[in-house]
Amino acid sequence: MSQIEAVSTQNASMRDPEAARRRRRAAIRRYTGHPAFVIGTLILAAMFIVAAGAQWIAPNSPVQTNMALILAEPSWTYPLGTDQFGRCVLSRLIHGAQISLQVGFWVVLISLTFGTLIGAVAGFVGGWMERIIVALIDTMLAFPGFLLALALVAAQGSSLTSVITAVAIAYTPRVATVMRSVVLTIRPRPFIEASRAIGLSSTRILLSHVIPNALPPVIVVATVSAATAILAEAGLSFLGLGVQPPTPTWGSVIADGQTVITNRPLISLAAGMCIAITVIGLNLLGDGLRDTLDPQMRRQTGAKML
Amino acid sequence: MVSYLARTLVQLAITLVGIVTVVFFLMRAIPGDPALYMLGDFATEASVEALRARLGLDLPVYQQYLLFMQRALTGDLGQSVVTGQPALREILSALPWSLSLAVTGLMIAVALGVPLGILSAIRQGTWVDVTIMLVALIGISFPVFWVGLVAILLLSHQAGLFPALGAATGGGFFTQIHHLMLPALVLGLSVAAYIARLTRSAMLEVLGQDYIRVARAMGVRENRIFFRLALRNAFIPILAVIGVTFAWALGNAILVEVVFSRPGLGSTVLKAILARDYQLVQAGVLVLATGIVLVNLTLDILYGVIDPRMRTGS
Amino acid sequence: MDQAATDLRKTEDQRPGPGRTKPVLELRNLVTQLPGEDGPLTIVNDVSLKVLAGETLSVVGESGSGKTMTFLSAIGLVPKPGRVVAGEVLLDGADLLKLTPDEMRETRGTGISMVFQDPLTGLNPVFTIGEQIAEVLRAHGSVSRTEARETAIGLLERVHIPDPGRRVDDYPHQLSGGMRQRVLIAMAIALEPRVLIADEPTTALDVTVQAQVLELLAELRQDFGMAMVLITHDLGLVARHADRVAVMYGGRVVEYGSAEAVFEHTAHPYTVSLFESVPSLDAETSDDLRTIEGQPPDPASLPAGCAFEPRCFFGQGREECKTILPKRATASMADHRTACHFYAELDTKRSCA
Repeated sequence: MSQIEAVSTQNASMRDPEAARRRRRAAIRRYTGHPAFVIGTLILAAMFIVAAGAQWIAPNSPVQTNMALILAEPSWTYPLGTDQFGRCVLSRLIHGAQISLQVGFWVVLISLTFGTLIGAVAGFVGGWMERIIVALIDTMLAFPGFLLALALVAAQGSSLTSVITAVAIAYTPRVATVMRSVVLTIRPRPFIEASRAIGLSSTRILLSHVIPNALPPVIVVATVSAATAILAEAGLSFLGLGVQPPTPTWGSVIADGQTVITNRPLISLAAGMCIAITVIGLNLLGDGLRDTLDPQMRRQTGAKML
Repeated sequence: MVSYLARTLVQLAITLVGIVTVVFFLMRAIPGDPALYMLGDFATEASVEALRARLGLDLPVYQQYLLFMQRALTGDLGQSVVTGQPALREILSALPWSLSLAVTGLMIAVALGVPLGILSAIRQGTWVDVTIMLVALIGISFPVFWVGLVAILLLSHQAGLFPALGAATGGGFFTQIHHLMLPALVLGLSVAAYIARLTRSAMLEVLGQDYIRVARAMGVRENRIFFRLALRNAFIPILAVIGVTFAWALGNAILVEVVFSRPGLGSTVLKAILARDYQLVQAGVLVLATGIVLVNLTLDILYGVIDPRMRTGS
Repeated sequence: MDQAATDLRKTEDQRPGPGRTKPVLELRNLVTQLPGEDGPLTIVNDVSLKVLAGETLSVVGESGSGKTMTFLSAIGLVPKPGRVVAGEVLLDGADLLKLTPDEMRETRGTGISMVFQDPLTGLNPVFTIGEQIAEVLRAHGSVSRTEARETAIGLLERVHIPDPGRRVDDYPHQLSGGMRQRVLIAMAIALEPRVLIADEPTTALDVTVQAQVLELLAELRQDFGMAMVLITHDLGLVARHADRVAVMYGGRVVEYGSAEAVFEHTAHPYTVSLFESVPSLDAETSDDLRTIEGQPPDPASLPAGCAFEPRCFFGQGREECKTILPKRATASMADHRTACHFYAELDTKRSCA
């Protein structure tokens, strides 16, 4: 580039408070003006409130069986009726939100922490270290995520902790691949060169420059993996391998409803809607974040997260 | 091309050894004694010891690993504890059912997802794009087993178009196809949603490239740009998408098989898990992972055919 | 405004050479906008330019000055959601903006063609260069496969690619950057367009290759009698290749005239700053290298007056500069226009300095 170019790109406008304010306003509007982002956020906020306030919102106990009220029709006291054990379906769904959101949250936290670290180290350090990590990740990716989670849960026994660990282990390599490809695009950028030139240690550069700059795609990955985790947990619960009864989960409500689906389809239908709405919320949020945070990363996430 | 093939094959060998290793350690991840776990709570001391010896669990870990690797590479994956049959044979007999489901499902998914994704990209920002993407978003957000249940409820119970359950294992070819259609459609629709989304972004990525602008600046027709110049570039990421979704489809086929009570790898593995037949679980996981690796290998070779940069080396 | 005046003065153009009377490409009061957060952003602002047959017009300015967007507007390829909102693009007197999309497409390649900055990304990686040239030929008429191939080989020869019979079957990654730019030029001239727009065609290339590519462009311009637009920020290139120069700033043309006029009788302080930011060979120390202080204007908040006023070394503080948009005025000679209130003083100052 010529001198003209180089000189004019100095960040003089950074110092201009008016311009900064305008940029901030524009950024806020970019989010609030993005329907996917707004709807996704609203759905998740609503789900969070439902889960957090379940014991006050739910009209009845989610676990109290009542053999006198088996498969009751919807009524004022039981808005979605009761299941074959006489439990209030709506209350079970409301409490089920707790399990789904917990699984989503913890899986994201665990798989992001480890996946980010592993991927960042692989992409940043390079050499034989990268080769070994990539070979390991490739191996893990050969197992369908859901099958891996299934086998791990089978090995560890069914509890909330083992479901979370199993799903997290199954999806960590997927986060790591995304992270590595992001870091590979960051590594050649000038500010990394500069940091090396002024003698910063690799760890320091990784923690204070590489990872923060890779955060936008990571945030998008977080929402996608939360959606995948919630679907995986629902699948495990549906197969009877998730959190054990009588704890209500959306997947187990569908399974319970399956046996009576011909005369009480509402039970399974409603539970499926709960899962779908939450997952739609997360996917909308992910799409919204992807468009607003970093348009360049579109191709890097997605395919690798399945 | 030859060196590319050689590299891919070496990669394959490494991955296969890796898979066997992962499965081995997965086995070891079971807290406590696998023999005890497999035999259940009522096992006698003597039977546990016998099983330990048979599984080689009394040997040091590295010896167990080498033995396991050696046996796995020669196709010996142990016996099913429940039936006493070789685990590999049990799995391979279930495989055709799963493969027919996954392949039919994937074909439906590709036939729907790829054209819709391309259409969406070409019509970016229009109501066509918005509608397709909205439907695809809903498609990836419903659990596949739930879609299966609803499909059974509506199309089998209400409309009576398809048989609800089973695979007509003893029936004729057309009866089996009839039983396959609904589960394949359910699996196909959910995978189609993913493929449509990923195809769209692959196509948009290509359409944003400089060479597309160059073609426009030279007056090349839009249809020519979309269906010849851009599509061949988009093929590579689209193939990658199909490869990834194949693994995903096999994973989800487990759930579809359970919902439709079909025989297959998924239901075999699930039954094995519930029966603590760990040899069988292990064999199932190994076979599935190997199958996925082979599919990816085929795709890798296809990339080489499509992408001249790989064919001619640079 | 001064359009009629310049039309009259056209005959006074004393530069030698045939066919210089009628412009091949003429932009009149072109305005292109992008939708912004607070209403539309004007990226190309009332631009009027002329390119004559066999001549090179150099368009210079910092990045973001609207030079590329001006010519993307001219060939109808403004990236969405931007669009041309006013003005005329006259190719041999016919307004391209009035064409249907398919007529416009037909005109690209045959009437007006463009070569872009980066040859590495400009060629499609999965087609041979022969196929890509053939694609251009096929877009404007039916040609057989063998015909297309022969034409492609001829074109490769024309842009001095050695061994064209073999190269025609190569994929882009098998060629060097300079070779790829030659291929792109071959595609652009395949149908002998009337105007070739070269958008920083050598920025991405090595210095030695740069000269060769520019020589090639000059040669083709001569042989085909094409009009050429050379978008650049390398003033050295302008000095060597341009017949006419347009200096753009903040989406506007601030100075326009023959190369001689602009170089010898610079009539806009921004042009002066541009010249002073070029390191000259005889500069004794690096202190001689002046840079332009400040930032190019933000299209979201253009001042009411002259857009260059905040950075101007010369008009600093004068009320007119801040409040009144300078009109295009005729400077040193015919067809030399400037958009500065005080260009007359500038000329004297510069000769004093």
